[in-house]
Amino acid sequence: MTAPLLKIEDLRTYFYSKSKQAFIRSVDNVNLEIGKGETLGVVGESGSGKSITALSVMGLLSAGPGVITGKIGFKSDRVQKNLLQDLDDFVKLTMKDGKVMAVQKDEDGWQERSEHRMSKVRGKEISMIFQNPKQSMNPFMTVGRQIAEAVQLHTEYKSEQAAKERALDWLDRVKIDTPRLRFDNHPFGLSGGMCQRAMIAMALSCEPSLLIADEPTTGLDATIQSKIVDLLAELKADLGITTMLISHDISIISRLSDTVAVMYGGTVVETGPAKSILAKKDDQKHPYTSALLTSIPSAENIRGKGYLQAIEGDVLDTINIPAGCRFYGRCNRVTDRIRERCERQEPDLREIAPGHKARCWLYFD
Amino acid sequence: MSKTILEVIDLKKHFFQRKGLFSLGGQQRSIPAVDGVSFYLKENETVGLVGESGCGKTTIGRTILRLEKPTSGRIIFDGTDITALDTDELRKLRGKMQMIFQDLDAALNPRMRIREILNEAITVHHKLTGAEVDKRIAELLEQVNLKKSKLSNFPHELSGGEKRRVGVARVLSVGAQFLVADEPTSALDVSIQAQVVNLLRDLQKQLGLSFLFISHDLRVVELVSHKVAVMYLGKIVEMGMSGRIANKASHPYTHILWSSLVEKQSREVGKKAKSVQAGKWGVFDFERPLEGCRFAPRCPVYEAKGGPDICTNAASEPVLREIEGGHQVACHFPL
Repeated sequence: MTAPLLKIEDLRTYFYSKSKQAFIRSVDNVNLEIGKGETLGVVGESGSGKSITALSVMGLLSAGPGVITGKIGFKSDRVQKNLLQDLDDFVKLTMKDGKVMAVQKDEDGWQERSEHRMSKVRGKEISMIFQNPKQSMNPFMTVGRQIAEAVQLHTEYKSEQAAKERALDWLDRVKIDTPRLRFDNHPFGLSGGMCQRAMIAMALSCEPSLLIADEPTTGLDATIQSKIVDLLAELKADLGITTMLISHDISIISRLSDTVAVMYGGTVVETGPAKSILAKKDDQKHPYTSALLTSIPSAENIRGKGYLQAIEGDVLDTINIPAGCRFYGRCNRVTDRIRERCERQEPDLREIAPGHKARCWLYFD
Repeated sequence: MSKTILEVIDLKKHFFQRKGLFSLGGQQRSIPAVDGVSFYLKENETVGLVGESGCGKTTIGRTILRLEKPTSGRIIFDGTDITALDTDELRKLRGKMQMIFQDLDAALNPRMRIREILNEAITVHHKLTGAEVDKRIAELLEQVNLKKSKLSNFPHELSGGEKRRVGVARVLSVGAQFLVADEPTSALDVSIQAQVVNLLRDLQKQLGLSFLFISHDLRVVELVSHKVAVMYLGKIVEMGMSGRIANKASHPYTHILWSSLVEKQSREVGKKAKSVQAGKWGVFDFERPLEGCRFAPRCPVYEAKGGPDICTNAASEPVLREIEGGHQVACHFPL
């Protein structure tokens, strides 16, 4: 593994629910690493904290009650820093038995320092593709203008003409037909797939070191989906860009990723090389990952016309996180040997094979 | 041989759109959302309807249930022609055919508790006493595997999977035998999706339900359906047993749809299916003159053959014809 470009350590992002008088622990002790030039796929059900992790990295959660602590180490050729450095000063956690009991946060101070730092990083060093391209673009500006604006802001192409040329160049690279015509379209004039292409062009036009793609193909038709995945694969091969790919669609993750992190209930339950984690047969993995893989309607399932293997129960309620393993209530591989530990104590993320970590008592002695 | 519960003959549903605010009474533009669709559904059978968004899948479902008035064509349900029923008769019909809506946040009244939602559905169609209603509700909850404690909750307090179960319970409560399931698993996580798919299959076995299963998720459709119909721009372009459609597709469009499954592609990395690459992937366009084969502008076969006239000639629009045991395709050059 190359030196990590992004190293997230013990990231916690909590929200406070006034009506429930409790913390929603959306992201709770997340540890991740992305090596330079690699693609990390983040999978998990909705509510598992995938997107919140990404937004925390982007510093887009500073407003509101979001509480962020931990370390986000970012090391590119141009910038090397902990994106959350000194922000802890504004947050005071009251801990008891390793659990956060109360949080106090100086919202304004936090935000000011975070914004000051992130404005130099966001867009230029880390850029993001959002799930809903139409909603994340400005409906009042033409698509081309929006890309050119980003180019002017973040790169050495400062003149209007140069920025426009550059934007056109990128529209062409993401395979939009007749980029010159599309340049003057507003987002609503483009189809969903084309809008997503424009979004990708915008994100890459400033040549960031890290691209975060949050559900880039969700909501698109199967044919368009595969085109976007093709495009991402091609860009990855051409530019060698480091990517954090978030999706609940395992087929997309397995196509594009080198390493995979599986998230459940706000934490990472398993990380490792994509091949060993997403391989169907291998039993050496977290029970949640196995269950997730078998619940996908796959070619084998269809041939047998059998039932799908559902994971019983519901996704974890991130307000009342149980004391033991987060997956304990739905796990079908609890044995008598480990039952007590599963119920009482949360396992930590430990290496179970070279480069392959899991958070499960099954593999610990 | 089980009996045919639903037959749809040359169904058309055109929507009309005025040109603009200042052209009142001017030329109306017609949008043929469903343009001549025929199929039938047997008792205890599931027919899957697939296609890209905007191809008219949902409109078919809504028109069959007479939530939309068909422009022309006939719908025969359980032996009676329901194309021109009036409101009173339709109301009786709703006890037999129902729809599971795609967006349950919109379909469940946010100000009613689950108990009230189910109660209302039961009492609208059946005259039951309070105790009988309670018994029926308990029965329904068991059928859809929902906890009794959820009855006093509001819809927003339930998770996606639970809401889906409530939607199914409500449909069952009126005693419907034929269900249109419109994207019942979209917006659900795979683990929950599996629960819902299993639930629908169980119910079909227990209660002998028939489903029109609308989805753009090819894998799910392939799994739950006996027969699959593939739609493109308001027409069925191919229809047959689900295994055949998935593995021996004859229409270029079906072939492209299934080979565009990312899962399939990752297995054959490197040797990308040629048909996927070929063809112009323009945007879906309802406004272009619909002459000849609708798929021609995107069709790799059409391109490979150098644009034969037969494909774009208005007089020779391909019609569904049988190629092998129940497998029908509308294409001049089936694969």
